[in-house]
Amino acid sequence: MTGGLVLILALLAIVVAPWVAPTYYLLLMLPFMAYAVVLLGLNLLFGYTGLVSFGHALFIGIGAYTGAFLAAHLTVRSMEVFLVAAAIAGALVAAPVAALCVRYVKIYFGMLTLAFGMVFYTFVLKFYRLTGGDEGLPFPRPALLGFPLDAMPKTDYLVGPYYYYSLAVLAVATLGMWRVVRSPFGLCLKTIRDNPAKAETLGIGVTRYRWYAFMISAVYASVGGALLGPPTGNVDPTLAYWTHSGNLVFMTLLGGFSSFFGPVLGAFVFIYLQNWVMSVVPYWRLIFGAILAVIVIFAPGGLMGLFARARPAEVARG
Amino acid sequence: MQTSRRQFLKLTGAGAAAAAARLEAAPAFAQAAGPVKIGVLAIRAGIAAPVGTAGLRGTEWWADRVNKAGGILGRPVQLVVEEESNPKDTVERYRKLILQDKVEVVLGGISTGVTLALGPVAEDLGTPWLSWDGTTQKGVEETMPNPKWAFKSVDNEVEAIAAGILTAKYFKGVKTVAGINNDYSYGHDCWQSYLAVLKKLGMDVKPVLDLFPKLGVTDFTSHIAAIQKAKPDLLMTSFWSGDATILMKQAAAVGLFKTMKGVFTTAGGVHDSLKKEFTPEGLLLGYNSMYFDDPKGSALLKQFVREHKARYNEYPPYECDHAYFCAESYKAAAEKAAGGSRQWPAKAQVVKALEGIEVESLSGKRSWREDHVQMCNFFQGITTHKNGYDFVTVSPLEVISTKQAMKPAGTKLFDWINGWKA
Repeated sequence: MTGGLVLILALLAIVVAPWVAPTYYLLLMLPFMAYAVVLLGLNLLFGYTGLVSFGHALFIGIGAYTGAFLAAHLTVRSMEVFLVAAAIAGALVAAPVAALCVRYVKIYFGMLTLAFGMVFYTFVLKFYRLTGGDEGLPFPRPALLGFPLDAMPKTDYLVGPYYYYSLAVLAVATLGMWRVVRSPFGLCLKTIRDNPAKAETLGIGVTRYRWYAFMISAVYASVGGALLGPPTGNVDPTLAYWTHSGNLVFMTLLGGFSSFFGPVLGAFVFIYLQNWVMSVVPYWRLIFGAILAVIVIFAPGGLMGLFARARPAEVARG
Repeated sequence: MQTSRRQFLKLTGAGAAAAAARLEAAPAFAQAAGPVKIGVLAIRAGIAAPVGTAGLRGTEWWADRVNKAGGILGRPVQLVVEEESNPKDTVERYRKLILQDKVEVVLGGISTGVTLALGPVAEDLGTPWLSWDGTTQKGVEETMPNPKWAFKSVDNEVEAIAAGILTAKYFKGVKTVAGINNDYSYGHDCWQSYLAVLKKLGMDVKPVLDLFPKLGVTDFTSHIAAIQKAKPDLLMTSFWSGDATILMKQAAAVGLFKTMKGVFTTAGGVHDSLKKEFTPEGLLLGYNSMYFDDPKGSALLKQFVREHKARYNEYPPYECDHAYFCAESYKAAAEKAAGGSRQWPAKAQVVKALEGIEVESLSGKRSWREDHVQMCNFFQGITTHKNGYDFVTVSPLEVISTKQAMKPAGTKLFDWINGWKA
């Protein structure tokens, strides 16, 4: 009950924020919502299936570059087309990548995903005519639900219509993932995570189910990647770089991978903490490294784990 | 008619009362009496951190100097420093400087990959942005020919064009050339521009090898072996960071420059690491827009070099000058826009005053072209050991203006080069 109340209050705060919060903090909500979509997907693989991907920035890159490519080469301007195209492109790339990766687990799975991520990074860096190389591609302001909104100043566009658009995408993604993890399919994934041998004896196709989880996860990451494009207005190869994948894992650990909303909370805290620490000290990466070490050693359940420890009666239900 | 965010919020049912309650609705004149907040974006990590540090040092030295002299229009200068990193994060830091810190101007920006993203954001937010070393060029072509708020650095390939001009002057007998440049747009563009200039200037040279190692590579053994095998008369590189020093060291180990000429278009960025023990005499070395040991240098340059050396035990590279120029031109424009009064001018007035303005920078007179591109001199010369340092300097020193080595506004680079009267 308390968890539900917190969720409602959080949602209410996000909805009313454009009326009360400073513009800059609203702008930071945009990458938060995009990363939240990515991490909901990543955690299906990480928290629910037990596979840690160090290459999911690949799919963020796929999503972002799909939108930018459609805009640059085919003059498409519809955000809905970008999102659908990103999801399809993400699925198309993920299908063979997942088929190869899910045959392995633990460090081998992680290294394979890292390798595929770096292959894509190299691709966007090298194929200059297609991807713009190191300079990337512009991601022009997309029309939302058919409304071009070109006359609006970009900042107003971002913290007005685009803000609510991103929130709607996040809400749909959250509801969709909630259904997935609460379904018999989600239960199968948890069984695979906890005991793959037992899952196999129960008749669950472990490799097949892992492939499904990877596919869903990749589609979520691609959609999140497409959402990241308009606020920056440019996509570049660093979106697909391995350190970006590392950030995704960091956010998931920070919030807590054993909780449904843990990664979402992780994304929120990561973005606002980074914003603050970067302005205070030039060596902010050292501080983030120390935070990661503290989480892994003292709070492996992340922030949600700490809350759950404070409320033993309502443990994270996963 | 434009739709503002508040109008949009009203349309979505918020109402005017809620919109009016926004916390950020602070009075616009709040800052007029306090310090002038100047935002600075500087790279602080990775391979380009020394470049960002140099720019920051140049800006801090300028700020100290201005504050000691009474500030700008009587207001002290306060620097608000944020990090330049990847495009996404830097755009966020840029927005923070303007929307949260309420700075009057943003200085900085080095990587063109980043500044390509910053340009449109600067135009949207309506605050002047004076880039140190980043352009809004895609490859060698301008993407923002008529900006209002964005002021860009000199075109990326100017040092390669200047080096091409000087190659034709100093290395006349060269017949074959090889290039080793970083594998990103700057490296490719410099190589192509350099070859285009040599061709236009009537040098009958044949490119026999072009190598593009990844930026950040620290072992050039295989590249040097390939260069030795190709036996060019001249090796050209646009390396600008520690890789220039490493290449020089590894080349010296096999005596590479005993058999060929060398052109280092941009290695002056790490000039004091080019020690005499491994850097031969006779190479063409480029220092970009400032040469610390310029015999004709101004008293300002000499004071800066002296104080920089005393404080950091290093001789300053050119990025200090880009940064100093951006800051000093902003000050001059604010004072010009104020028209002799102490009234702080509007941002749009400062931008208008910046267009075409000329100021005294560390390297001498520098200006902003009408289309918001820096104009300055480029310093290159032939390396010599005849100096009091443990690293090479250049003699003779050649000074090439951007009027000579940078494409005019509105032209295409290779069309412009091909149109030269050789």
